[in-house]
Amino acid sequence: MRELVTIQVGTFANYVGSHFWNFQDELLGLTEVPDGDPIYKNSSLDMDVLYRAGETQQGIPTYCPRLISISFQGSLGSLSLSGSLFDDISSSDPTDILTWQGLLTNETGNVSRCMAEPHKKNLFLQSLSAEEHEILDVSEDDSGEVMCSSQRQVQDKDRIECLETDVKFWTDFSKVQYHPRSLYELHSSWMDIQKFEDYGIGKDVLSGGLQLEEMNERLRFFIEECDHIQGIQFVVDDSGGFSSVASEVLENIEDEYTNTPVLLYAVRDPGAYTYATNQKSSIGRSLHDAVSFSRLSSFCNLMIPVGLPSLRCTQVCGWSYVSLFFLILNQGGLSPLLHVDDKKPFHSSAVYAASIHSISIPFRMEMPGPAANSTCTSGAMDVGEIVHTLAGQSRQNMVTVLDVAMPPPSLTDEHNQGSILRNLHPLTPEIRKDDDDLLAVESLVVHGALYSGDHRATVSQVEDSVRVAYQTAPAKPMFSRLSVTLCPLPIPLPFPSIFGRNVGRHGELVFNSVQGAQSRGSLEIVSIPMAARLRSSTAIVPFVEKRLGDLRKHGIARGGASAELLHTWGFGRDEVEDMGEHLSKLLMAFDPHSQTTSDSD
Amino acid sequence: MSLRVLNPNAEVLNKSAALHMNINAAKGLQDVLKTNLGPKGTIKMLVGGAGDIKLTKDGNTLLKEMQIQNPTAIMIARTAVAQDETSGDGTTSTVLFIGELMKQSERYIDEGMHPRVLVDGFEIAKRATLEFLEKFKTPVVMGDTPDKEILKMVARTTLRTKLYEGLADQLTDIVVNGVLCIRKPDEPIDLFMVEIMHMRHKFDVDTRLVEGLVLDHGSRHPDMKRRAENCYILTCNVSLEYEKSEINAGFFYSNAEQREKMVAAERHQVDERVKKIIELKNKVCSGNDNNFVVINQKGIDPPSLDLLARAGIIALRRAKRRNMERLVLACGGEAVNSVDDLTEDCLGWAGLVYEHILGEEKYTFVENVKNPRSCTILIKGPNDHTIAQIKDAVRDGLRSVKNTLEDEAVVLGAGAFEVAARQHLVSNIKKTVQGRAQLGVEAFADALLVVPKTLAENSGLDTQDVIIALTGEHDRGNIVGLNHHTGEPIDPQMEGIFDNYSVKRQIINSGPVIASQLLLVDEVIRAGRNMRKPT
Repeated sequence: MRELVTIQVGTFANYVGSHFWNFQDELLGLTEVPDGDPIYKNSSLDMDVLYRAGETQQGIPTYCPRLISISFQGSLGSLSLSGSLFDDISSSDPTDILTWQGLLTNETGNVSRCMAEPHKKNLFLQSLSAEEHEILDVSEDDSGEVMCSSQRQVQDKDRIECLETDVKFWTDFSKVQYHPRSLYELHSSWMDIQKFEDYGIGKDVLSGGLQLEEMNERLRFFIEECDHIQGIQFVVDDSGGFSSVASEVLENIEDEYTNTPVLLYAVRDPGAYTYATNQKSSIGRSLHDAVSFSRLSSFCNLMIPVGLPSLRCTQVCGWSYVSLFFLILNQGGLSPLLHVDDKKPFHSSAVYAASIHSISIPFRMEMPGPAANSTCTSGAMDVGEIVHTLAGQSRQNMVTVLDVAMPPPSLTDEHNQGSILRNLHPLTPEIRKDDDDLLAVESLVVHGALYSGDHRATVSQVEDSVRVAYQTAPAKPMFSRLSVTLCPLPIPLPFPSIFGRNVGRHGELVFNSVQGAQSRGSLEIVSIPMAARLRSSTAIVPFVEKRLGDLRKHGIARGGASAELLHTWGFGRDEVEDMGEHLSKLLMAFDPHSQTTSDSD
Repeated sequence: MSLRVLNPNAEVLNKSAALHMNINAAKGLQDVLKTNLGPKGTIKMLVGGAGDIKLTKDGNTLLKEMQIQNPTAIMIARTAVAQDETSGDGTTSTVLFIGELMKQSERYIDEGMHPRVLVDGFEIAKRATLEFLEKFKTPVVMGDTPDKEILKMVARTTLRTKLYEGLADQLTDIVVNGVLCIRKPDEPIDLFMVEIMHMRHKFDVDTRLVEGLVLDHGSRHPDMKRRAENCYILTCNVSLEYEKSEINAGFFYSNAEQREKMVAAERHQVDERVKKIIELKNKVCSGNDNNFVVINQKGIDPPSLDLLARAGIIALRRAKRRNMERLVLACGGEAVNSVDDLTEDCLGWAGLVYEHILGEEKYTFVENVKNPRSCTILIKGPNDHTIAQIKDAVRDGLRSVKNTLEDEAVVLGAGAFEVAARQHLVSNIKKTVQGRAQLGVEAFADALLVVPKTLAENSGLDTQDVIIALTGEHDRGNIVGLNHHTGEPIDPQMEGIFDNYSVKRQIINSGPVIASQLLLVDEVIRAGRNMRKPT
């Protein structure tokens, strides 16, 4: 078994993570349904890679994500810090307090209670906990079940409705049960959450406390039980102070688990791109971006910046023409098949989570033995291999672009959408379009692809089709890897309604359907095919260049207005220069005149 | 308002409003923490939005848990928490003292006095109080064999303010013995060498000191012994798992055969390392029935575990980094980073090693060690909030013992110092001060009384009676503290109530500084929302 440990740091990272684990939970559930789709049952995806088996103190077996989630104090909403599984929250009745026996003899007024307003569980969570009780009630007769299911139909709609309108915490739409060691709240008590916006603040929060040690201890707990850990999947919301929290954690990982590769997704909410109102804060922003990118990238093996300023597609949103700046950023847009509301992190995080899920599929496939040749999967690899493929080849570039087709068109291409390759849209911001880099290296994952209509394609059909697509493409990458599996992305109930009306029940494209502007969600769609690609190419150059430029302009240049700001973040001049050097080294990888690439010509 | 011209968005509070805002914030914070001071103080139960419970009496924990919004209160809270970080205790007292200084000042300011004059008085009074503290403290000679009784008294004083008496007394012995165990002559005490481990099991009174170490993981092989006596302990930081050679090594296999070969070569290296350990085991354990335990900071994979288990070795992987240091101090031997030159001298010794399993959690006890220089406080409790509360208390207890050892002095507690210092300020210092700064000294002196007053209030006594009784007794030439049971004056020395000298000094030092700063504020400006607040 090759275990993967997941770490989520920051608010938006947890939104993404929540969707990610919902997919896993759905997959797990579908394999257990007796008359379910055999595709899930024989998916030959090993869930133990992401999950751990354990038991509670009462001896009840559990199966929980191997996960550490770090977020704000109070950001868990109605979810208890110790998870719901090991549920033994004793009543808030002071009579069971053993540490203060005075009250047994004296008056009970010895305890003063400070209650926070309890967070109400929303409809979705209520139904989850109700279901749990139902399972406990084994005495359920069949007639009741029929009624139940009809009742459920009605309710499902309400539940989805309530999620669409009202998601305040990432736990609001999570259906996964967490291990008590998984959830960690950062004590940042005297911090306005809105002000947790730059690198320095995160550093302040960690300084002097035992919090970092506590986080490392939890990580050690999960890693200790792994027999062959293949890597760490790290999702961080790098738009605020959490990037410094993450870099501290990463620094420890590098120290303690030297040979364990780290795959880092730096995710960002579209809301994080609200532009600064004055010059001072805009300099602060760009310095934060530069510093956190430099720090984070220096502690991981492969970095994937994810997070567009807007996930809407340009055709839809005319308003963006108002500002030229928006226009530039928006050019790519996302597939017209998706209708994502940028204002809702619940929406945008779902797209990112789906892509991260797809990228993680090859890590769970069974490793090709000498004889075994699965008909369901091909192209298994582990984290170390993907790092080696993308970042370890001739060009040592470790910052990659994530592209996704959600959903990709069918292989026969009935609607002239073009091949899967042409439908991949980047999720990484600030990259160069029209990139014809001859030295690019790619890793493509396609799962659940459709042949035509809603017929699934076999592994070899997908392989052939992709091969043809690469051959006819205008610019071919130097090296590409393909991983294919039959298992599509199941759409769980708490998935936002972000699909356009052209997407069918199994993710096929339907163009002759009845007109109706309503977006479609988990009630109408059960699963979709997915294609996601990691690409190491010169497309990322502008992204790195911008950060290096900002750092040079504001941080390193003499008399830079913000040298002082960097100083309050705890960086001396030398350290800033080191960061600059690190960034220019990253850029050097692309320089055609540098040593490394001239060898491979 | 010139600022209005500069920045129309700024919110401005003028002079008296600004001052009162600060005073009210300080008083508000004082009110919150007031009820928690002393052994009779109440306990606070914090219930989170999801029903999570936290119980505490500790000012530091409370301040960290509370979401404080008011900027002035944040400033005070930061000072108080800094107090905890430097000296380990006294958070509540700091908050109370600052609040009381502000309250006393308010009286004078309302009568038209300028804050500057008060602040000057504070400064004089602060210096005088610190000088007085030097005279008042009780020196303790520590030397090589410290007086255990005095350490116990200090620890008990701290612990009794956090937990009920029975448990506090039990913990007193534990923390004193713990600190004495790790103490090395002529070296600063590193409290990290006392491991604090907790188990959700049994009751709070089952908390104990383990001379040795408790690790929060067990062996990962079904055939390894769960209990072993007379064990050699090998502490090492050697990778015993097959890893892909360096990720960027640039070596890529082109066919399955090559891959197999590479794997085999890697595997061989790991096996060699395991064999070296087994060789050492065979050398030291042949002819006797001693056992052999390997505790590794790096990983050990199943094939290696298998080999070790077959050789009768117990192996634990991924030990805490700090435990490497602790193990060596507890069992002896040394931590090895390579298996190349293993000798018997590298090994430590423990009389008993056993595993305790609670659900999925495993604990390994390394006990009966010969000459421990590191130990573990094993906290037990039926639920998480009990454990958390004991943990906070144990930390404070350890700090108080450490402070005593380092200060080589203690201060009489139960309010005795505050009463004496106040009398000293009023009767001796005030006269020497010229002009209105006298009033500042007086305000400072009165503010000192907040500690005995609050102690009295929390015990349900009448504060005025108590203060009069105390000052009266003091003027008769006795050093007196408050008996919180009866309200009568007592001699703290007889009762064994001692506080840390460094804690007291820190409170006297930092309190007036913040209070002065707050008093001198004449305008509060809240500029654009996005400004980073000053730290």
